[in-house]
Amino acid sequence: MLDTAARRPRTSGRPAPPARTRPRPGVWQRVWAGRRSYLYLAPLMTLLLVFVVYPIFGSLAYTFYSWNGIGSPQNFVGLGNFRQIIHNSIFWESVEHTFIYAIIVVPVQLLIALMLALVLNNRKLRFSAFYRTLFFLPVVASPAVVGVVVQLLLSNFGDTFNSWLMDVHVISQPVDWLGNPTIAMGVIIVVGIWQTLGYNLVYFLAGLQTIPEEVYEAAKIDGAGRLRTLRSITMPLLRPVGLMIVILAFIGSFQVFDLVQVLTGGGPYFGTEVVNTFIYHLAFGGTMNQATQPDVGLASAASFFYGLLLIGFAVLQVLIFRSIAKRRGGAERA
Amino acid sequence: MAILVSSARREPVPRRRAPVRRTARRSLLHLVLLVGGLIWLFPLLWTLGSSLKSDNGFFSQGLNPLPDGVHAANYSNAWQEASFGSYFFNTIVVAGGTVILTLLATSMAGYVLARTKFPGRKFCIGLISVTLFLPHGYTIIPIFDIIREIHLLNTLWAVIIVQAASGLVFATFLFMGYFSTMDRGLEDAARVDGASFHQTFWRVMFPLSGPMLATVGLFTFISAWNAFFVPLVFTLSKSNLRTLPVGMYAFLGENSTQWTFVCAGSVITLVPIVVIFLLLQRYFVNGLAGAIKG
Repeated sequence: MLDTAARRPRTSGRPAPPARTRPRPGVWQRVWAGRRSYLYLAPLMTLLLVFVVYPIFGSLAYTFYSWNGIGSPQNFVGLGNFRQIIHNSIFWESVEHTFIYAIIVVPVQLLIALMLALVLNNRKLRFSAFYRTLFFLPVVASPAVVGVVVQLLLSNFGDTFNSWLMDVHVISQPVDWLGNPTIAMGVIIVVGIWQTLGYNLVYFLAGLQTIPEEVYEAAKIDGAGRLRTLRSITMPLLRPVGLMIVILAFIGSFQVFDLVQVLTGGGPYFGTEVVNTFIYHLAFGGTMNQATQPDVGLASAASFFYGLLLIGFAVLQVLIFRSIAKRRGGAERA
Repeated sequence: MAILVSSARREPVPRRRAPVRRTARRSLLHLVLLVGGLIWLFPLLWTLGSSLKSDNGFFSQGLNPLPDGVHAANYSNAWQEASFGSYFFNTIVVAGGTVILTLLATSMAGYVLARTKFPGRKFCIGLISVTLFLPHGYTIIPIFDIIREIHLLNTLWAVIIVQAASGLVFATFLFMGYFSTMDRGLEDAARVDGASFHQTFWRVMFPLSGPMLATVGLFTFISAWNAFFVPLVFTLSKSNLRTLPVGMYAFLGENSTQWTFVCAGSVITLVPIVVIFLLLQRYFVNGLAGAIKG
């Protein structure tokens, strides 16, 4: 699309040599002048249009068919798939599980990451880079590996976590960590916090480093204590970065898949099914090792519907943040 | 936290007692951070230790991360019998390919979006920003279809292209931010020296963006190495194309008794990425600090 736009002026000949007192050049001249820019943009835009933008609309087409993914879709069902999804209790449970996951993981994780970042940002603290590395490391571990290792640690054979907890009398009999839906969800949440905390730690540290040292010195001269400095200087100056961190954390949490798929596969009895595992099971068949017929149309409807929910949530989030920022800004100016 | 909070208030008290108290406070903080960090890393340390345990040792030693000996055979078994060797090479191809594709596409685009003017520039930036907020995981079905249409199903190319496409937007923004802070005079100087547009980019701007290339490359490499969803979907019917994370998952499903193999496989998956991260980690914070400011 961009390519043809860039090429068009070539057929109509090179634009006339501009007069010395040049008026604003016409749009095609500017397009021609920017031809190399389009060329450099082409790989990115091609990949984005084909693999990001088109699939959003492509999935919409599938939603109108009942289709098992083989051959081309023929059985037109109109809005039937959407009706089916809206009345599917497992879908709504999976939405609920995903939101529970996000609503616990994001605040807990950001709070820990922020506290750790404040401690590690202290310039006088020695080895702070070393500690940062320690707490960051789980991020570079593959969620699949983490899921497998956690399964081994929590399993009921040998001398594992359960027997240690019994030795220190926290529990009296082995807990079926991944067999009970509620406990399994808790395990997923704790592991989720552990695994992705490092990103937020690095984001917060980066945000803290944007605050110039002079501001702290000025605050010190004015006699502000640590707590006062934190509340009146660090927090307000961290807010723009902080909002971005919150949004990114929510986006990430709503897309949780790897950990759940590896740890529980959405089970037991769909007790930890999140939206992405639900869609995966619908689209590619096989829930908990039992092969089921894939239903691509229904999966597309579920994912499109969930996409709409998320866009709604994102808009809501931006509006809330904007109103907070406006109110704060007004208060500061007053 | 309380430890830190109290310090500034006490500044005016006589100087002589401060060092002792400060040293004690510092030591306590270091102790907390160190012990906390070790507990934090316990699952990984346990995996490392358990990968060297014997089968009996694995059961009897439980949570003790120290192995009962050095059973290196776990590794050769995982490498050969459990196919982790071929998974390893698949993963290198996927991660390397994804990094190259991402760096080329996003550095070029970031450069022209940040430093050149052309009609439609704002529209492109707008389109890219919108896709950042669209959830990308849920479009896998049409993507699967496109890959089938262009006959790349059951190839590692499919994994590379789809994996790269998922991280493009963020990387483009990082490059845009980086290029926009560079000195305007650079291009003028290059032009005076007779450099064409292409030479200006490939000989001057691209090499100068080294730190950002390292940052984006590192992020992309880690996420591609660890990727699970995309390689899982595109290797469902081709087990010999599995990457390490998918291989781990499949291995646990297929042979659910060889726990020491599993631990060795985990270490094979973890060690390369941890080493690369440790060598290049300064690019993380430095690169992000620059990007988050913009």
